[in-house]
Amino acid sequence: MKRDQFKGASLSNWLAIAALSAVTATAWAEGDAAAGSKKTHSCTGCHGIPGWRTAFPEVYKVPKLGGQHAAYLIAALKAYKSGERRHGTMQAIASTMSDQDIADLAAYYANLAAK
Amino acid sequence: MKNTNQALVAFAALLLATAADAGDVEAGKKKAAEVCAACHGPDGNSPAPDFPKLAGQHADYMVSTLKKYKNGKRANPIMMGMAAMLSDQDMQNVAAYYAAQKGLELKY
Repeated sequence: MKRDQFKGASLSNWLAIAALSAVTATAWAEGDAAAGSKKTHSCTGCHGIPGWRTAFPEVYKVPKLGGQHAAYLIAALKAYKSGERRHGTMQAIASTMSDQDIADLAAYYANLAAK
Repeated sequence: MKNTNQALVAFAALLLATAADAGDVEAGKKKAAEVCAACHGPDGNSPAPDFPKLAGQHADYMVSTLKKYKNGKRANPIMMGMAAMLSDQDMQNVAAYYAAQKGLELKY
């Protein structure tokens, strides 16, 4: 009897832990768009100006981010941070961002409704 | 008067430069359907979150990116294979097509 109770408790404990981890993992992975909206200070100087062009090492209009998939924005920023994707300015900026900053900014830019 | 002439010449040169860079949207639509649409969507609003949306993106950014995939400066196994199939003119054309579609927006 005691053993059965222990087993029961153990199972629900595990379920609770699994559920909590799932919630935590989701919150972390999705990013907080509202928090992201307060972290755009290093983005808007280039990505927030209509038709703004890069100056170096080559000239083209900096990409639009509004409405882009969050998963792609996260992958891009992480690739800049790791150096896998190369661009002097973007590597420098991404290197200052935590994974949470990246997720929050991606959530903010992916969402076109809330400007 | 001389200044006005100089300004006109500069303006004409700018127009010519722009015309030379401009891709052919119709040719781009055809090429995009063959090469790009399976992942990026027929109008550039890709259905899969891992593949970036191209609809409304700046044409010159997309051309620059395609060239980097083709010359290996930007490494991505899928895109390096795709870009290898595109000529410079193809790149201008598909970029002009996707830039003309409704999708991405400037966000502050």
